[in-house]
Amino acid sequence: MAATKRAPSYRVASDPSIRVTVANLGLACCTLEVEAAVRSGLLVPDDGTDEGRTVLLVSGTVTEALAPAVSAALTSLPPDTRVVAFGACATSGGPYWDAPTVVGGVDLLVPVATYVPGCPPRPEALVAAVIAGAA
Amino acid sequence: MRKAEVVVVPAAEWLDRIAGLVADGYCWLDFLTAVDRQADLDVIVRLVDPASHAAVLVQASVPVGSATLDSLADLLPGANWQERETAEMFGIAFTGHPDPRPLLTRPGSERPPLRKSTPLPARVLTPWPGAEPDSDRASARRRVQPPGILDTWETP
Amino acid sequence: MTVPANARGVIGLIPSACTSCMLCVRECPTWCITLDSHSEQVSEPGARRPKAVSVLDAFSIDYGLCMYCGICIDVCPFDALEWHADFDYAATDRSGLVQSTDQLADWSDGSNSISTISPS
Repeated sequence: MAATKRAPSYRVASDPSIRVTVANLGLACCTLEVEAAVRSGLLVPDDGTDEGRTVLLVSGTVTEALAPAVSAALTSLPPDTRVVAFGACATSGGPYWDAPTVVGGVDLLVPVATYVPGCPPRPEALVAAVIAGAA
Repeated sequence: MRKAEVVVVPAAEWLDRIAGLVADGYCWLDFLTAVDRQADLDVIVRLVDPASHAAVLVQASVPVGSATLDSLADLLPGANWQERETAEMFGIAFTGHPDPRPLLTRPGSERPPLRKSTPLPARVLTPWPGAEPDSDRASARRRVQPPGILDTWETP
Repeated sequence: MTVPANARGVIGLIPSACTSCMLCVRECPTWCITLDSHSEQVSEPGARRPKAVSVLDAFSIDYGLCMYCGICIDVCPFDALEWHADFDYAATDRSGLVQSTDQLADWSDGSNSISTISPS
């Protein structure tokens, strides 16, 4: 799927051995905090090598329509990739847990290593959780 | 953002009154949506005059049983998608709409998602933490309902 | 970039201020707060008869559901809930995000410090 082929990758500035691939599937508010992490220098552009550990960051509300893309994103990454559920929606469906078309947490689709609370979590929480999730 | 003047019009005059406002300069469509008042639905459109930045909110009420209103899509092309969304979310028919297909919902969703009468099964099936436990206080208080959850919702 | 002191990082509880009135539980839009309490008879010196008081048994917030709207803090008549700027409490499983009375009280009694992270 086109979205996963172009999934952007970054490195954690304070620990460049960790590569963060963002499953940016057009999901909402939490994506902006990932952007803020990039803009503020907490995440830096990937150097393109395969070195280091990979974290798949799923940020935002996952709907039934987008569920296959989340699973596909993981299969396109190295087998030891750890998934970080970023924000309430990725963790549990968040405020939309009651919506029939919302998946109540990405752990229904893929194994999750770390759940980051927040609505949205701040960029610093992203870095702290990604470092913990990659461990 | 400047506060918009609110103009309430009868449903039968919807297209004419809005055409008049557009001719008066309020030609930029900000949004078109609806509010569920349970007995009827209020359809709201916000128009802006790009020259003065003045805005006007136009509102018309349609009964739930026969929720139809003239389409603005020929007058304001931006209303096309907004009417498709409002139609599927609230169960309103916009007469004369050039392309009345659902915009966001998928086939099989029977009831308009944003109507208050459309139940959310997850909220009915999940025990509400705010329900009074069986305590000596329970009988002294009238039964409290969670906000937004209607008694008329049935479990699926 | 330092984290502002008024950041909505986490909600802390002051158990001694909580009367188990359940307002926060009922007003929470996501139903993420649970509260258990029981009633006790308390004799006050000089009073003709004992009065019934609610005693808080357990208070929990599921931070996996919490949307950080702050309605619980706004409605509490006794200011028993408050914002703190802490954010580093991610968990490796869902149950790890359900914080109970002691954990919620820790945020408010100062036993957790506010973290700041600057870009290197």
